[in-house]
Amino acid sequence: MRAVWQAARAAVRRRRLQTSVIALVVLVSTMTIVVALGLLDAASAPFDRAFARQQGAQLTATFDTARVDAAQLAATAHAAGVVASAGPFAQAVATLDRPVTINDAGPVTVVGRADPGGPVDRVNLWAGHWATGPGEVVFSSPPGIGGEGRRSALGAQITLSGVRFTVVGLASSVSRTADAWVAPDQMAALHPSSAQMLYRFAHAADDRETAGDLAAVTGSLPPGALTASQSYLSLEQRAEHTPSAFVPFLMVFGVLGLLVAALIVGNVVSGAVVSGFRHIGVLKALGFTPNQVVAVYLVMVSVPALVGCVLGTVLGDLAEQPLLRQIFNGVDGTELGDSVGLSPWVDLVALLGVPALVLLAALLPSLRARALPAARAISAGSAQRTGRALRIQRRLTGSPLPRSVSLGLGLPFARPGRSLLTLAAVVLGVTTVTFSTGLASTVTAFGTAAEGGGAYQVVVNAGRADVGMTPPTHTAAQIGPLLSGLPGARQVTPSAYVPVRLPGVAQGMNLLAYQGLSSDLGTLVVDGRWFDGPGEIVVSPGFLTLHAAAVGDRLTLATAGRTEQVTIVGETLTGDPDYVSTDWSTATALDPAVTPRQFLVKLAPGTDAAAYQRAVRAADPGLHPSGKDTVNAGAMTAVGSASVLSLLLGTVAALGVFNTVVLNARERRRDLGMLKSIGMTPRQVTAMMVTSMAALGLAGGAVGVPLGMLAHRLILPVTGQAGGIDFPASMREVWHPGNLALLALSGVALAALGALIPSRSAARVTIAKVLHNE
Amino acid sequence: MTSGSVTGPGTGEDEPRLVVRLEDVRKEYGDHHALNGVSLEIRSGEAVAVMGPSGCGKSTLLNMVAGLDRPTSGRVTVHGEDLTGLNETGLALFRRRRIGMVFQFFNLLDDLSALDNVALAAQLTGTPARQARRRAQELLDELGIADRRNAFPAVLSGGERQRVAVARALMNRPALLLADEPTGALDSHSGEQVMDLLLDLNQIGQTLLLVTHDPRLATRCANRVVDLADGRVVGERSLERAG
Ligand SMILES: Nc1ncnc2c1ncn2[C@@H]1O[C@H](COP(=O)(O)OP(=O)(O)OP(=O)(O)O)[C@@H](O)[C@H]1O
Ligand SMILES: [Mg+2]
Repeated sequence: MRAVWQAARAAVRRRRLQTSVIALVVLVSTMTIVVALGLLDAASAPFDRAFARQQGAQLTATFDTARVDAAQLAATAHAAGVVASAGPFAQAVATLDRPVTINDAGPVTVVGRADPGGPVDRVNLWAGHWATGPGEVVFSSPPGIGGEGRRSALGAQITLSGVRFTVVGLASSVSRTADAWVAPDQMAALHPSSAQMLYRFAHAADDRETAGDLAAVTGSLPPGALTASQSYLSLEQRAEHTPSAFVPFLMVFGVLGLLVAALIVGNVVSGAVVSGFRHIGVLKALGFTPNQVVAVYLVMVSVPALVGCVLGTVLGDLAEQPLLRQIFNGVDGTELGDSVGLSPWVDLVALLGVPALVLLAALLPSLRARALPAARAISAGSAQRTGRALRIQRRLTGSPLPRSVSLGLGLPFARPGRSLLTLAAVVLGVTTVTFSTGLASTVTAFGTAAEGGGAYQVVVNAGRADVGMTPPTHTAAQIGPLLSGLPGARQVTPSAYVPVRLPGVAQGMNLLAYQGLSSDLGTLVVDGRWFDGPGEIVVSPGFLTLHAAAVGDRLTLATAGRTEQVTIVGETLTGDPDYVSTDWSTATALDPAVTPRQFLVKLAPGTDAAAYQRAVRAADPGLHPSGKDTVNAGAMTAVGSASVLSLLLGTVAALGVFNTVVLNARERRRDLGMLKSIGMTPRQVTAMMVTSMAALGLAGGAVGVPLGMLAHRLILPVTGQAGGIDFPASMREVWHPGNLALLALSGVALAALGALIPSRSAARVTIAKVLHNE
Repeated sequence: MTSGSVTGPGTGEDEPRLVVRLEDVRKEYGDHHALNGVSLEIRSGEAVAVMGPSGCGKSTLLNMVAGLDRPTSGRVTVHGEDLTGLNETGLALFRRRRIGMVFQFFNLLDDLSALDNVALAAQLTGTPARQARRRAQELLDELGIADRRNAFPAVLSGGERQRVAVARALMNRPALLLADEPTGALDSHSGEQVMDLLLDLNQIGQTLLLVTHDPRLATRCANRVVDLADGRVVGERSLERAG
């Protein structure tokens, strides 16, 4: 066994480059695998994962403290089926004087809690610290890309029902148990009239079980004590309708990543063994038994592979966390960012699976080497030419191409197995690039459309006195003309929200009504048309799914005391399922008192939006202007993550090519030396080696581009369904001859890049040495 | 065998030109001195054999002349060109035009036929494939292995392989033919054939520089022998050739 170890060590030392390539390829591949699996894992059930991580409340119950005391509530923790509980926490509905992050001014639910942890609802405090002292409040706000911007809310001075508070932290709760939290002893100032209990149960898989659980905890309490309850099942259902459109795309990346990484590890490792056949012959001649030879080769590739695997897992974990967090937060803008967490099984699969793959890839050719008679093994380096390779080489010889090019073109045929594996890696690399390019085009177009394509630049909200905001000094009717009169304004569209109900549907919704011209505000209609008169509404795809409705359906909308028949005339590209758009007359029919509250302002080209906003504030301190995003954060994140992942995959594929060239150059050292001795210049040697791979790259492009297009076409509808987006043809047909040609060339670029460095070092090989020594 | 057109340059001049000039050439590998100040001149039409014990620096010397390796100090001039002043590409172009090399182990490309191996040398200089093959065919004819032109190196005998290698070396009509132990890997019969071939070539004017430790090869083909020991020239003698 000592001999085996020594021979393996010597082999590793003599093949530093190959050993480093194995370690590097395994490292990057393992990283890709870890990120890809993490992606698949997090994407598979984001709500469930986030919920599990936070020990989410399966039941959030609100009790009237006039009818039940704290001791009675605490006792419910011992009800049948309860496995964990938290509370009672004092709860109050307070009035917020101005918006904080995603919380609009108006009524907010405030809960008194001593800390964000506990047995249930472990709130993710992602900015600042927990509220512990007087005047401190933590607001509910999702982390993530938009979240980073929301950090600016820290330190904000606000009032809750007239009491002054400073925002000291931002946190998110998947169970959505509160809008804001303060220390328990600070609740008194907010005059709480209710208390909150959070529960987890042994059985809560469906509505029937949660109903039973609710009955169990409230059974011993006086009637009327329970004022509200929320089951996690309804949250889960809503989470499924939030646009997580990009998750299916990301899953495709995950699968591609696994494939490419596995292929290349296989290729690199088996290549290392095949290129060592001559060495195997020598070992056998020295008296190594066949098993010892296999052992030498397994040790030789396993050592660098193990190092690469462990490092790759660690780096993959490090890279995965911020990447996935960005992806999920940016995409959803919700608490689902919390679904991202280290999954031990991912590391386990990487740490066991990659070495297993390496061993398998090494074992197959090792067994072949085992069976090889020593004499044949010694000559194997030179005498393994197949008839087809020779025929192709002969045909190429007669071609008018420069000799270095035609020799290069023939090279891949000398080792068809290795060439095929390399080709497969390039194909998958090109598929990834094509797919991600298509994804980027679609998503960018989607993001631009989702933000209204920059049709208007400023949104002005009128302060509401009823929730404690500074009201405008102008009347609602005066604000429109005021805004239009400020310099730079080109068009002002007043709008308002009217809370309405669909009879028979518990969840309330909002009518978004526009006064005047609204069809030019950039909302993309993918089916039907924009509304054109009274009684017509335009809805989001999520609305249609949620209510099993279709364009053309008639619905009844109800407010307190009034109902109105409306027709769905159009479906937008995307949007909140709880909002429908309509014209002003439909809104006044349902609520005659409706007044414009939000004004959408189109500015003349070249107008400084910030200056306009300053002018608005100066004109009336009760008007709250803000700039309209023109770039969709979710879309940007998706494009960004897609780019990172395709870069990673492209790198792995290029490393595969790199390795193939290293092996080819190693095996052909003598040939290269001879070619140089008869006058082949270093540049010609480089050209020959690069050509050999560029040919594969071209073939890879020819196959990979259609595959990438196919993946894009197949995945888009799935994405649409998952995210409640109906992509119009303009976003689906993103291909044109120009970008297709570029993509096809990406294969060549990938191959040529991977080939360049080893080709150049092959070109520098010292001839004198190789020609005389072998 | 007959040889009509296998002619190198340098024939028919009144004063034989200097083809190779080594001036105090040294080559060190680490602190090992492979060449220890070698000076040598070879004139057009000469056939010089370098002899000496294994490890004395014969191959190193040949590599210096071929521009396959660079001296640590000293100067190498071949056909008027100072090799020390050339970069890698310059050396490659120099080998292409001025030098033909024959090795102990043939060094043919396994996946090219005999004919294509020979044609390769011309194709590298940009000669069209058809023309290159025609000249290769002529050379194989002259070296007596025309019938093996479509065979691949793996099925050729050692002697046949070496003759293909010689044909390849002659392809670009080199000023100087270098051979490092050209018979070292051959049996005596094949060795004889290759010796005859080299002799014939020299007799029609081809300048030759051979490295060997086979005295028979030296006496048969060379008209001057340079003895090397420990990286130094320790003796030179002119020979009356047997042929
Ligand atoms: N690339 C190299 N690196 C280190 N030492 C070298 C190298 N090439 C040759 N040498 C050393 O230089 C000396 C001369 O080598 P060279 O190959 O010229 O000998 P030689 O006379 O051709 O021997 P042989 O008759 O065995 O072929 C030897 O001692 C050899 O070990
Ligand atoms: Mg030698």
